Amino acid sequence: MLLHITHETHYRYRPAVETAQHVAYMQPGNHAAQQLLEHTLVVNPQPAQLRSINDVYGNTRCFFSLQTPHEVLSVISHSLVATQPSIRVQSTMGWEKVRERFHYQAGATFDSACEFVFASPFVPRLVEFGTYARPSFTPGSSLLNASIDLMQRIFDDFTYESQSTQINTPALEALAQRKGVCQDFAHIMIACLRTLGLPARYVSGYMLTEPPPGEVKLVGSDASHAWVSVYVPDLPEGARWVDFDPTNNHWGWHAPGPDYVTVALGRDFGDVSPLRGVIHGGASHTLRVGVTVRSMESNTLPSIPLIPTMPAFGSPSQTQTQSQSQSQTF
Amino acid sequence: MASVGHYDELRGKPSRTDGSAAADSNATNLVAGDEGLTGAWGQFFSKSEAQTPADLDLRADSLQRQIRDNGVTYNVYADEEGPQRPWSLDLFPLIIDAPSWNRIDEGVQQRMRLLEAVMADVYGPQNFLQSGLLPAALVHGHPGYLRPMHGARPVGGVHLHVAAFDLAHGLDGNWWVVGQRCQAPSGLGYLLENRLAVSRQFPQAFQSMRVQRLAATYRALMDSMKSMSPGGSNAHIALLTPGPYNETYFEHAYLARYLGLSLVEGSDLTVRDEHLFLKTLQGLVPVHGLLKRVDDQYLDPLELRPDSTLGVPGLLQAIRAGNVLVANAPGSAFLESPALLGFLPALSRHALGEELRLPALPTWWCGERSAMEEALPRLNERTIKPTYPGSPIHQGFEAALGRNLSQADLDSWAGRIVRQSEEHTVQAYMPLSQMPTWQKATTTGRMVARSVLLRVFAVSDGLHANGRPRWRVLPGGLARVAGTSADIASMQRGGSSADVWALTHGEVDTTTMLSNTLTPAALAQRKRLVTSRAAENLYWLGRYTERAENSIRLARITLEALGGEDQTSVPLQQWLTQMALASTLVLPGVPTAVQARRVFERSLIASLGSTDGATSVGYNLRSLKMAGASVRERLSAEHWSVILRAEEELFARCAEHTERGDYSATDALRVLKSASDYLAAITGAQTDRMTRDDGWRLLSIGRHVERLNFLSASLARGFETRSVETEGGFEAMLALFDSTITFRAQYQQSRDIAALIDLLVLDRDNPRSLAWVAHTLRGRLAKLAGSPAGVLATMSYKVPDPDTWSLVALCEHDLDSTRPPALMALLGSLVASAFAVSDDISTTYFTHSGDTNHSVGT
Repeated sequence: MLLHITHETHYRYRPAVETAQHVAYMQPGNHAAQQLLEHTLVVNPQPAQLRSINDVYGNTRCFFSLQTPHEVLSVISHSLVATQPSIRVQSTMGWEKVRERFHYQAGATFDSACEFVFASPFVPRLVEFGTYARPSFTPGSSLLNASIDLMQRIFDDFTYESQSTQINTPALEALAQRKGVCQDFAHIMIACLRTLGLPARYVSGYMLTEPPPGEVKLVGSDASHAWVSVYVPDLPEGARWVDFDPTNNHWGWHAPGPDYVTVALGRDFGDVSPLRGVIHGGASHTLRVGVTVRSMESNTLPSIPLIPTMPAFGSPSQTQTQSQSQSQTF
Repeated sequence: MASVGHYDELRGKPSRTDGSAAADSNATNLVAGDEGLTGAWGQFFSKSEAQTPADLDLRADSLQRQIRDNGVTYNVYADEEGPQRPWSLDLFPLIIDAPSWNRIDEGVQQRMRLLEAVMADVYGPQNFLQSGLLPAALVHGHPGYLRPMHGARPVGGVHLHVAAFDLAHGLDGNWWVVGQRCQAPSGLGYLLENRLAVSRQFPQAFQSMRVQRLAATYRALMDSMKSMSPGGSNAHIALLTPGPYNETYFEHAYLARYLGLSLVEGSDLTVRDEHLFLKTLQGLVPVHGLLKRVDDQYLDPLELRPDSTLGVPGLLQAIRAGNVLVANAPGSAFLESPALLGFLPALSRHALGEELRLPALPTWWCGERSAMEEALPRLNERTIKPTYPGSPIHQGFEAALGRNLSQADLDSWAGRIVRQSEEHTVQAYMPLSQMPTWQKATTTGRMVARSVLLRVFAVSDGLHANGRPRWRVLPGGLARVAGTSADIASMQRGGSSADVWALTHGEVDTTTMLSNTLTPAALAQRKRLVTSRAAENLYWLGRYTERAENSIRLARITLEALGGEDQTSVPLQQWLTQMALASTLVLPGVPTAVQARRVFERSLIASLGSTDGATSVGYNLRSLKMAGASVRERLSAEHWSVILRAEEELFARCAEHTERGDYSATDALRVLKSASDYLAAITGAQTDRMTRDDGWRLLSIGRHVERLNFLSASLARGFETRSVETEGGFEAMLALFDSTITFRAQYQQSRDIAALIDLLVLDRDNPRSLAWVAHTLRGRLAKLAGSPAGVLATMSYKVPDPDTWSLVALCEHDLDSTRPPALMALLGSLVASAFAVSDDISTTYFTHSGDTNHSVGT
């Protein structure tokens, strides 16, 4: 498929922001079933400094800073991506065997995927996740089948509810509530796998929500999306990650499907949030985020919601950190 | 002396007698040399000026006094946070003879080389991980491993500039490594203070015993950091502190002064184009190096903990670009895990080709199955420690000592260890050595043995000729002395500290830091700089002082007008209502004084001492205090104490009256009168007791900006509501401008509007007249901008020029309106100018975000 993505973020500040530093993860990457054809990132006002570098996982992150007062900030990313249908992959490796592979022994072979076994800020390893995961991970079952089953159960057991959680909702709370958004489902599935000693990582990206002919429309509308990638060691080296989307019950090698666009991967949301910044000034702000994913044949444009907040005045300006709070709540 | 089973420092061998029985021995028979003291301790007591318990008591008193006096000086910031723990220091030093010290010195240097190799590998090729010498759980699984730093080579090539090692003296006479601190170790300042205080109590012993001096090590660290930083030998190095509320802030301030560094908080700094700068009133000053006392996770809210207010956004970008040296390079916290100790011997063989000279206590990381199986059966003889102490993403626990646990507890620990093996580290238990301490008693003091843990420090010392980094070990350290029965020395648990005398066979190095710090150039540089954070706090101190004064005066005028016998006129009531709302002396939604006079009055009284929504007198006094607290070092003791009392008393008295339910207008007026007296003292101190540098100028500008805005808006409202045309309103306006006495002296009982405008707007001798305020503000802004005398600055012109105002024009009336249009226009532009100046000051001097903003320095 040929997919075009527009990801727009508009901030309006009162009073003006005096200085700001931001970092954006908005440039899709390349993998076996995805090629980035074009990408532009336009920032207004013109940043004093802008630099793109690769992070430790190979994602492109773009730093930019503004050093003069500004009342509006807009960050618009355009990407054109070609995707291929993923091949139905086969694996029989038992999950206990995978777990054993990641148990340290002096002098044993090192597998760099072990980085994704450990707890991370949004994904603690807790007994509750192990308990939830156990019915899928029966003795001797293959990691692939057990992961498919776990994804299916999260899809069945959990209610998608867009206002039910905040960006900082701990995965544990979402597990207890049995509801959340895509980011929570991804964190829960990752936590289940890691608690069992299995490597899993967080994928941020987009999904085309236009239904293919004859199929039911997927939950929600265009937005940033998040899903899970699981490491399956008996697949060919360099192509061992299989993606699972517990929000929509889709899975596939490299991506859950050709209608998915991978932007960045990390341990959890904190590693790859689309836009993060530290601003000085701007006591209050309004934020408008709009994501449009178009298959190059279609032309649907979603409306962009406006969320106003109250202005404040007459006290010393403060430095604050903001994550783009409307992101990845698919 | 020492208890059985501990190494006895005094005698240099394991103790065989029971500590409690032997504790009766006093200094007299020790000095007699009868009990087989080591050479060094024997020399200490024979050379010591103190020969009797009474002498030692006197010295102990003198020592306590000295610490207390210095503490008073240094801990001035503590009053926001409750009681500050006083630093506790024992009279006797821990003495380490020259051969022992040499072994420590060599062993620590070797460990530094190894730890540096681990840092370089982990943030580079990760060969140690790939070859299985280092488990990923202790690197990738440790929150102290910082992914944004991977691939970044530190400027100068050295990651570790300061590290501390905690050593225990074993029964075998060897010193054993118990733990290491590699992130931002504390102690380098306290141990200096200890040295000064203790050496002063025993000057003869100190001189004659060849105690190695400390200054050269600090000098080496500074030279090393400078030479490796992008600034070279003239580099500007700053000490980054979390701020006055940090428990070791005393040490940060002390070290910064001793080393000649700028003491900065994160908000003092800014990153521009991947370079680090100190924000000052004079502009942005480049910073080439940071000695950091902020934990890594808090260094940069953009890439690390987003909720950190202690760091500098963009700092990691500047570090990666090689534009600033940070000691230590961020990302070293994983080295502090006790689990790592178990892997260092093999890493040393692999990376250095050497055996470790200074042994560490045997340590088993339970994430490795074979190690766990070795550790579990003898848990009762060992210590259980968290692999990830203080980690936000692991379930933390306190270290547990197996010998103190019941069998049931041991079983439950074993269960936990099996379930969460990676999170547990088991270490062999070793009793700490015991050193003599002097314990004061009601009669005479006596000598008591206490367990001691020695913290030694290594600092970077430039490069070897072959380009390899070099470290040196501070000859001395911080001895941490356990309380009565504790096994683990920790200041948090009521322990104490002791000076450490490392003896040398060689020369005593008499290098001093002083010559370096007191050059006239250095002094001039430091005097000139006023940091933007201090300036901003001074500016807000000025604004809140004025705001507090205005709100007190307005509240008094309002209560007096409403409480009078005469029926207050409707225009005056309207004016008072508008004024109270604009100054939030009442909450929005309260009925106006016109609608319900008593309700309005009660609401105003209730808000005086409340902080929920209303920003009345109490709120302003509290804000004044907060601004003052952050520039505490610039305020005289009297000034500060009046600020504290003004706030405390107002809240206390308001609370008292509210509780009793009898808060009458008369009571409120009494409270306000007293607050007003305090304010007079505060403004007096600001005028008379502060150095008139640029910082003070900003305070004054803050007051005048606030005054210009408040008085102009008040006068405009007086004309809009026509309140000034009433007798009460006329009087109230004079009172609000604090000009009643002057007016009466000049115009007696007149209520002439032209006379009012003349005095309140045009009179150049009246410090409350708008012309005086505007004139002063224009001048102060010019002086601040560095303009020559008599020349105004760009910012001055934002304030309307009083020379262009004339009484005739301002008094002119339209036929259909009572409001003089020229006056109303002037008042409007004065209010606007106050806002404009405030914004300009912020962008130019505080955030340095103005378009004209430029960098100073090289």
